[in-house]
Amino acid sequence: MRIFHNLNVDFMAHKKKFYLLSAVIILAGIISMLVSGLHFGIDFKGGLEVVINFDKKIALSEMRAKAKDMGIGNPEIKTFGENGILIRTELQTMNKEQTEELKSYTENIFKEYKPDINFQLKSVNNDEYIYKFDDALTAQKIVEFLLNKGAQAGRVLEENDETLVSVRLGLADFIKMKLSNLFPDNEFEVIKVDKVGPKVGDELKGTAIIAIVLSILGILIYLAFRFKFIFAVGAVVALFHDVLITFSMYILLYDVIPGLNLEITLTVLAAFLTLVGYSVNDTVIVFDRIREQLKIYKNIDNLYKHINDAINKTMSRTILTGSTTLLTIVVLLLFGGEVLRAFAFTLIIGIITGTYSSIFVASAIVLDYAERIKKKIEF
Amino acid sequence: MKKYSFRLFLIAIFTILCIYLLYPTYKDYQNTKDIKQKLEVLKQKKLKENPKISKNDLDKYLYAMEDSIRNADPSIAETRAKRIKLGLDLQGGMYLALEVNTAKMFEKIVGNKADATFRQILKEAEKESKYSDKPLVDIMIEKFKQKGIRLSKYFGSVREDEDVIAENLRKQSDDAINRAMEIIRNRIDQYGVSEPSIQKQGSRRIIVELPGVSKQEEARQLLQGRAQLEFRLVKDPQYTAKIIENINLVLAGKAKIDTTTNQAIIDTISNKKSSDTTKDSKKQTEQEFLAENPLFKYMQINPYTVDGYVEEKMVPVVENLLKRSDVRSVIPSNVEFVFSAKPETFKDGKKYYTLYLLNAKPELTGEVVTNAQANIDPTTNAPIVTMQMNSQGAVEWARITGANIKKRCAIVLDGVVYSAPVIQSKIPSGNSQITGSGSLEEAKILEIILKAGALPAPIDIVEERTVGPSLGQDSISAGFISALLGYMLVAIFMIIYYQKAGAIADVALVLIVLYIMGVLAGFSATLTLPGIAGLVLTMGMAVDANVLIYERIREELALGKTVKAAIKSGFDNSLSAILDSNITTLITGFILYQFGTGPIKGFALTLMIGIFTTLFGALVITRVLIDWSTDKTNRISIG
Repeated sequence: MRIFHNLNVDFMAHKKKFYLLSAVIILAGIISMLVSGLHFGIDFKGGLEVVINFDKKIALSEMRAKAKDMGIGNPEIKTFGENGILIRTELQTMNKEQTEELKSYTENIFKEYKPDINFQLKSVNNDEYIYKFDDALTAQKIVEFLLNKGAQAGRVLEENDETLVSVRLGLADFIKMKLSNLFPDNEFEVIKVDKVGPKVGDELKGTAIIAIVLSILGILIYLAFRFKFIFAVGAVVALFHDVLITFSMYILLYDVIPGLNLEITLTVLAAFLTLVGYSVNDTVIVFDRIREQLKIYKNIDNLYKHINDAINKTMSRTILTGSTTLLTIVVLLLFGGEVLRAFAFTLIIGIITGTYSSIFVASAIVLDYAERIKKKIEF
Repeated sequence: MKKYSFRLFLIAIFTILCIYLLYPTYKDYQNTKDIKQKLEVLKQKKLKENPKISKNDLDKYLYAMEDSIRNADPSIAETRAKRIKLGLDLQGGMYLALEVNTAKMFEKIVGNKADATFRQILKEAEKESKYSDKPLVDIMIEKFKQKGIRLSKYFGSVREDEDVIAENLRKQSDDAINRAMEIIRNRIDQYGVSEPSIQKQGSRRIIVELPGVSKQEEARQLLQGRAQLEFRLVKDPQYTAKIIENINLVLAGKAKIDTTTNQAIIDTISNKKSSDTTKDSKKQTEQEFLAENPLFKYMQINPYTVDGYVEEKMVPVVENLLKRSDVRSVIPSNVEFVFSAKPETFKDGKKYYTLYLLNAKPELTGEVVTNAQANIDPTTNAPIVTMQMNSQGAVEWARITGANIKKRCAIVLDGVVYSAPVIQSKIPSGNSQITGSGSLEEAKILEIILKAGALPAPIDIVEERTVGPSLGQDSISAGFISALLGYMLVAIFMIIYYQKAGAIADVALVLIVLYIMGVLAGFSATLTLPGIAGLVLTMGMAVDANVLIYERIREELALGKTVKAAIKSGFDNSLSAILDSNITTLITGFILYQFGTGPIKGFALTLMIGIFTTLFGALVITRVLIDWSTDKTNRISIG
């Protein structure tokens, strides 16, 4: 089987149209970014994220409606996987009223265990509350009772004093309490909790920018060694182009496709860097062919023709590799589970634009540059 | 055939090596499956016995049973250690980023000298440090300078130079983090988390990964509670020997024996130890001896101190033995067996933990220790640790040491013994010297331990991620299905497009995946969900090299070259493109590895390993197979 056999298309003739197309998409992305801002995931934004699986399925709209009454500001509610519901708040800690509410809720659980129970709050360390009970047995039973109620509790074993129980009263516990109040006859299981402090998020943003800049720099330096500098520049411009287009798609398609959560998380960042690698990979193969053409024919005047020839000759490889890679990534998108979905989406966009940009951006820039300076490009 | 022998040999070696490296992973998978089945049976049985059992109790029971099954056979643990490790996102567990709250520590150091100005400065520094990379101590010192307040107003003494005080404060801050690390490591080790990871990140953050821990409360308690430092007397050898003998009797099934025979047996034991018996009788008695004294199967006894030495892998066995209720019944409630914190390597090359019998009640707790310092004793050149106590502690300490000269006093932190020095003389002032540390590093650890109890700096959790085991399991199967389906699609595609040559590329692809997994296992790297994604992506990209080569061969054939010549120039001409394109991907992979955390690192690693194996697959495996298949027929099936 063969496709694109003896292809002979004048790609370079259309470069202006494609410049325009790219510019439009990127511009649209930038405008919508200015309008709605970037959608960062918890990794970069900080906050608290709880994923729960209910026994009986709850509609997202119902959850959204009830979430307003939870008293944790305006939480984001999303689906996670098949049955999971993700609740996210930017709050990190509870305020006084929330703490009090959770405290009395917990103390009511003690009373529920035994109405006339004696207890005494011994100490508070961050969100760890230590209660003292009458005897070791009660303490043990209370812990079990609390755990069965979904609270986080444990024994504090101190020398000669086994009557202490530690209960955690944190924001995640507050959310759990609210949920069991809101859905009294629907049991749920917490399957994932992420809590990221604001500083950590800011640090990660910094690291992410450094990582992207460094990898682009690394590629620029390597290509400048292997090819003429203008080729390295062409490849890097193509790279920026791919990253920007994918970014734009991210912003434009945010919340458009159901079940696809397009937020910038660490995993998505990894996908961006992979797409940087893939895009250059594709560009290099076209460039390699241009270089070879120039070497063979020694006639470097007709750069226009050589570039077109090189693109035509590598076209079947470009499409083939693009397809096999796309195949595997579509599989990831469909079967890889919730966590990998955005990752796969990024790469799908990235591979398409990467293939496109190696022809219409990277090669076109080299040609434009050569035409402008009216000098021969030498190797 | 001969001309390929070296390359075929290379391929065979790599393949065998990777299978060898992956075998434990397979075996561990089987073991886990077996254990799961066994647990399921136990679960059903338990449910039948007690249908009303709470989920929590049942979990606890099953957890304990799993533990004992795993501990019963050391080979299970061995294969587990060699398998491909699964990241937290795949097996479930907890990730925590901790920061030592140095502000609280400084508050405590300043004590009642603290006034409104100091509190204000500390508060500002704390706020600022939340959004800066600088350690709090530096920010605080700067603030003092800005406001023109001398540090000596709160810290150190007036005569001291400002810079010296600042330096001391920095040292204290560093110390606090090292101490916190030591305490956390110690607690996690005791808690029995398998394959925990504790790392220092930057100047003041500690990253803790606890696979398999999903009970957040337990983990947090583990990490945030205060360290408990105690001084506890070691029981004297005669007493310990008696207890051990009683345990042996219980274990050998002779529980009820009156004290006189008991005493007699102890005498014979001590006789055995001291007197030189002939070799013959010794051999005979050895088997009988073990039958009568089952405990000695698991541990050796120091004949002078009667401390037990338990080999590393036997520790859980002995722990379980000591927990048995019949065994507990012969151990008086005022004493307790406690292991050493770290093992010692014996002459046989194995690591042994020491088991001490201590008073259950501490003589003194760590709050009385005000300072500790590791040093080299100028006269003996041996490492020593000096320790100071507050006045109340010193009085107690004088009484304790005076009454127990020549006895040993164990330094116990969070339930493990760090050192058990002999009390040489009565110490009236509380200023004690602890000798006997093997090296200055050991002494330094002891210093940290002693200070740990004295200066608790609270630990704040700045990042916390928990993945439940069920989510992890879902992720594993999603990853596995994606990998399999991805491979099949690519394989079919290649065969349709390139026919036999496509099939050859598919064979190379299987080997590439095998090599990636093998290398992961060999480096004991961690497989994460993004790592699986990297593997799937690599499969898509790995055929790129094949496509480049095959397209080139087709072109060369179209130019009218012979099959041999076309293959040769096909491979030669595509080499530079293959290398260039892979090296650029390698650059991004490397940077991802440097900057990424946890799961992302796993992705970068698979991507990088994938590149090397891809190159090997295209340039060696495919080449050999193509050459070989065209050798005789001089024809190539390339679609």
